[in-house]
Amino acid sequence: MTAASLSEKLQKKECSAVEIAHSVFGQIAKVEGTIGSFVTVCEEQALEQAKEVDRKIAAGEDLSPLAGIPIGVKDNICTKDVLTSCGSKMLSNFQPPYNATVVDKLEQAGAVIVGKCNMDEFAMGSSCETSYFKPAKNPWNPDYVPGGSSGGSASCVSAGEAVLALGSDTGGSIRLPASYCGVVGLKPTYGSVSRYGLVAFASSLDQIGPLGRSVADVASLYSVICGKDPMDATSAQREYGDFCQGMNRSVKGLRIGIPQEYFGEGVEPQVKAAVMAGIQRLAEEGAQAVNITLPSTDYALSAYYIISSAEASSNLARFDGVKYGYRAKDYTNLIDMYEKTRSEGFGDEVKRRIMLGTFVLSSGFYDAYYKRAKQMQQRIAQEYADAFQQCDVILTPTSPSPAFRVGERTDDPLKMYAADVCTVTVNIAGLPAISVPCGISENGLPIGMQMIGPKFSEQMLFDVAGCYETICGGFGIAPSMKGEGGQTK
Amino acid sequence: MQIDIRHIAKLARLSIEDEKMEKFQHEMETIVAMCEKLPPMDDAYTAVDPSNPMRLRPDQVKPSLKRDQLLKNAPQVQAGCIVVPKVVE
Repeated sequence: MTAASLSEKLQKKECSAVEIAHSVFGQIAKVEGTIGSFVTVCEEQALEQAKEVDRKIAAGEDLSPLAGIPIGVKDNICTKDVLTSCGSKMLSNFQPPYNATVVDKLEQAGAVIVGKCNMDEFAMGSSCETSYFKPAKNPWNPDYVPGGSSGGSASCVSAGEAVLALGSDTGGSIRLPASYCGVVGLKPTYGSVSRYGLVAFASSLDQIGPLGRSVADVASLYSVICGKDPMDATSAQREYGDFCQGMNRSVKGLRIGIPQEYFGEGVEPQVKAAVMAGIQRLAEEGAQAVNITLPSTDYALSAYYIISSAEASSNLARFDGVKYGYRAKDYTNLIDMYEKTRSEGFGDEVKRRIMLGTFVLSSGFYDAYYKRAKQMQQRIAQEYADAFQQCDVILTPTSPSPAFRVGERTDDPLKMYAADVCTVTVNIAGLPAISVPCGISENGLPIGMQMIGPKFSEQMLFDVAGCYETICGGFGIAPSMKGEGGQTK
Repeated sequence: MQIDIRHIAKLARLSIEDEKMEKFQHEMETIVAMCEKLPPMDDAYTAVDPSNPMRLRPDQVKPSLKRDQLLKNAPQVQAGCIVVPKVVE
């Protein structure tokens, strides 16, 4: 069930928030051993929150559409006094003394936080396999990865362990797992959602965003979390409406840009076919397809890994065993303590990225790497701006292939990085993009279609994605997760 | 390109085990080779998006978290202070 239909049932008193919570924890008890969506499950706290919602319903108070809705929160988003590990040994004992702004907003809306979602360590990865605790698995087939880095956020929604989830997206970390797990995921415009309380990876690219089983649900959650926050100086000063109420699900007269660079050799034919079929269906509803070009796409991955790693090497310098987190046991002096703490606390992928960032910022190499990457960032943003003169929205595959097998790419970083090739340019240009399911692969896994818009065009993205959802007859949880009589089917 | 992993690791305050050194060396070189694809450009760039400039909040004295809340996560605390190895002989 979607958040919208559950909310309606709550309002009509056909079920209680506590019943909804119990049904979700029932599903968690059943499937969590296989899927591994959560680092921490917050059953006691969630039931308290649900009781509070029921009390408000009984008192006839006005409720947000998210009241009583079970939601998963990625484990790099701070939750007061609840473990926020970032999927790392480094923060395996960290209980933040404060809530992230988005968590405060969820609590105010009465959402029920069911747990903290598994993720690639420090959000660095495309498969959820670098989590220090355990890898998350794809609910459609647990032999496959759920995508990353917000793997647990996508898998919990797809497996019926939560109705909605928050993830974070630095290079595709919401959209990629959403596409691999067959759910809807939005990477909002840079600056539209506060990052206060999000453990920083690459500050000029990071963005918190929603995942859900329907476009309306994602729009509802986005409406709650967006907005200016004095605690995040990069959050944009502007007014936002209710994106769910504002949806009109029409694409009549809309110009859909199709960039040839996203349908090239590296993209699997079955993915191309599914996305082109999706575009065709939108054309039948009155949209017009336009061929466009984004010539620098080939350089995006290079620019992305330089910029994100450079920022990560700086952001992760704070993990030194002094103020919080893991501290090594045996050391001879302060420097030795730093080195041992960081070497024992970080996994290999995080070390690789820190070292890459250190390298590209080191003297003698800065101009050839970091400066060029920043210039390329500007060029990519300009190419998007030019493209949006000819079209209203751009459609591409979310990833060049459906989910890959667990373990298939762990020994080859470049192959792992290639999964992000269709998503990184959006972060580089600070744009919003939504991934929606658009087909099933030969081996029965979901394929995702990405819709990219100009800055702050989320409403239009919800309209296009909503129109497509209506054509498809809706999305749902992974077929193998449908239990008998499950509340959350 | 040959990369001096030991030097980079030292700058980043990381130590790499000897048995992993070769693997890291190889992987870093492939990643850097990928990053070398960028052509020289003379495009200008700005760090901040001019259409969405940052607005800094005024620096005001306001209630903040209590010391013991903040120290709760520190690995070693003594008399309300964080303990680290001796830095000055």
